[in-house]
Amino acid sequence: MAEVILKVTNLQKSYDDKKVVKGVSFDVRRGEVFGILGPNGAGKTTTLEMIETLRPIDSGSVTLDGVDVAREPQKIRYLIGVQLQSTAFMDKVKLTELLDQQAAAYGERVDSHALLKDVNLDDKASSFVEELSGGQKQRFSIAAALVHQPKVFFMDEPTTGLDPQARRNLWALVNKIKAKGTTIILTTHYMEEAEQLCDRVAIMDKGQIIKLNTPKNLVDELLEKGFKKERRVEQANLEDVFMDLTGKGLHA
Amino acid sequence: MHKSLLAITTFAKISIRRYFRDRVAIFFTVVFPLIFLFVFGGIFGKNSSSAFHVAVINQSSEAFAQKFDGQLKAEKIFKVDPKVTTLSSAKDKMSRSELDATIVLPPDFGSLKGKTYPSGIAQVYYDVNDEQAATTVTSILQGQFETINTELIKNPTPFKVQTQKTNIGGLSRFDYTFSGLLGFSILGLGVFGPTNYFPQMKKQGVLRRLHITPLRPWEFFTASVLSNAVIGIFSIGIMFIVAMTVFHFHMTGNILNLVVMIVLGILSIFGIGLAIGGWAKNENQAAPLANIITFPMMFLSGTFFPRFLMPEWLQHITTFLPLTPVIDGIRQVATEGKSLVEVGPQIGLIAIWTVIIYAIAFRVFRWE
Repeated sequence: MAEVILKVTNLQKSYDDKKVVKGVSFDVRRGEVFGILGPNGAGKTTTLEMIETLRPIDSGSVTLDGVDVAREPQKIRYLIGVQLQSTAFMDKVKLTELLDQQAAAYGERVDSHALLKDVNLDDKASSFVEELSGGQKQRFSIAAALVHQPKVFFMDEPTTGLDPQARRNLWALVNKIKAKGTTIILTTHYMEEAEQLCDRVAIMDKGQIIKLNTPKNLVDELLEKGFKKERRVEQANLEDVFMDLTGKGLHA
Repeated sequence: MHKSLLAITTFAKISIRRYFRDRVAIFFTVVFPLIFLFVFGGIFGKNSSSAFHVAVINQSSEAFAQKFDGQLKAEKIFKVDPKVTTLSSAKDKMSRSELDATIVLPPDFGSLKGKTYPSGIAQVYYDVNDEQAATTVTSILQGQFETINTELIKNPTPFKVQTQKTNIGGLSRFDYTFSGLLGFSILGLGVFGPTNYFPQMKKQGVLRRLHITPLRPWEFFTASVLSNAVIGIFSIGIMFIVAMTVFHFHMTGNILNLVVMIVLGILSIFGIGLAIGGWAKNENQAAPLANIITFPMMFLSGTFFPRFLMPEWLQHITTFLPLTPVIDGIRQVATEGKSLVEVGPQIGLIAIWTVIIYAIAFRVFRWE
């Protein structure tokens, strides 16, 4: 088994006497894509925000690459990259300038053109964020979150609101980032996405993790219980038609 | 330390570039103060206060009356309204204070009346509210008549009065007003700017994105102050150029001292905007607070009218408002040529306010 890079132990959080996260524990291994699934209000975002140093931890502990989050948040910030749900950047600032600025926040200088090339946005170097499409914005925010080459990369619902092509592009990008050895922790509403990308998934509900395993094992477990789905073997579905007609180009 | 420096300079550089791409921001920081400059320059700029607005109604056809009429119109101290030809329209205008007085030359003005020289009585009409102006107009007329009289009848005149102007190097009203306008500009730049865009950046999640990076609030503050100072010098520089070329502003002080004064002013006043904008979660919280804090300063710190016009007790209180030492300091350096040591009390007061304001700003700042 690979080494553990993130260890979360009995994490708790309440707002005005209401427990939002009720003792969450899990380990993430170095280099894997770890998915957190769950309905809205399950406590996914709050859990991630505590790990990301954005919210104080009520009780429990989080250790990331050997560093305690509550004790040394400033150190943690150098280790993690976060792609936020809202893709807001300052307007009237060029993409290259935004990357320079993001890198400067870590005290680094970067080759912003090369970083844009990694996410297929090198032709947009002098554009402003407000001129990009939804998929382009999402790819750019990934480039921005990775300027300092973090060890752990958090993605919050990366494909929500994207069209099928843009979604597939993004999946390809996630796999590319994984191939470089970055550990990825993502939340999503799309089960297909979790199945495609994640090595392991944790399913959260009402502030607790109710299941944690590989997608395949979870499906097998369900089948072992005798679950039967009305199965109809399709040769193709409407999405395949759409993809066939509109192509998979990167112009999304 | 090196990392902080890179972060600060990069953030400042990019926000300055962003400013020059933002037409709305340029309007509020350059065009808007210029509009105020032209309005107040128009009011105080020309020394029109020393000229009297009069109407001359000549009812006489005598040659002397025609000549005297022309002489009045050429007189610099009078601004003759050429549109007024009847006494009733003159009275109408006097009641609205558009005219200070009306000079009427009656039909027999300048006739010989069987003598060798012309004579007559000029009449001065004035509104009850303009008694002072009328007295001055009358004495000016008397002076002119005296000169004519001595030419017509050679009489010895043992005593005479001579008047001379002495305002060499003195402050014109515009000079005084201009530093107030600069104060207004610094106030707008430093308070209304950040209280507007900080909550906006919070709402859009721009600051949240910075929150997840190791960037510290003080680095972010320093970069903001730096870019604001550059933008402020740019905007105020333009105001200076316009003031000197269009309104003949008398710049007597050392330009370097003045830049120091202005930067200190920007630094301390910008802290107010930083504190409010950094604290507020949204515009609804920021705007009322910004107004409550800036409006008293706008009227009591000598922005639009000099503080010496206020009752004494109010002058004592307003001395200690954060904007007052900024305006006083700038005026004393720019128009009175004082050194930085001579404006020490002002700089000291600015320093005290800066410490207080930034201590508050750091305490209340939140990224989201």
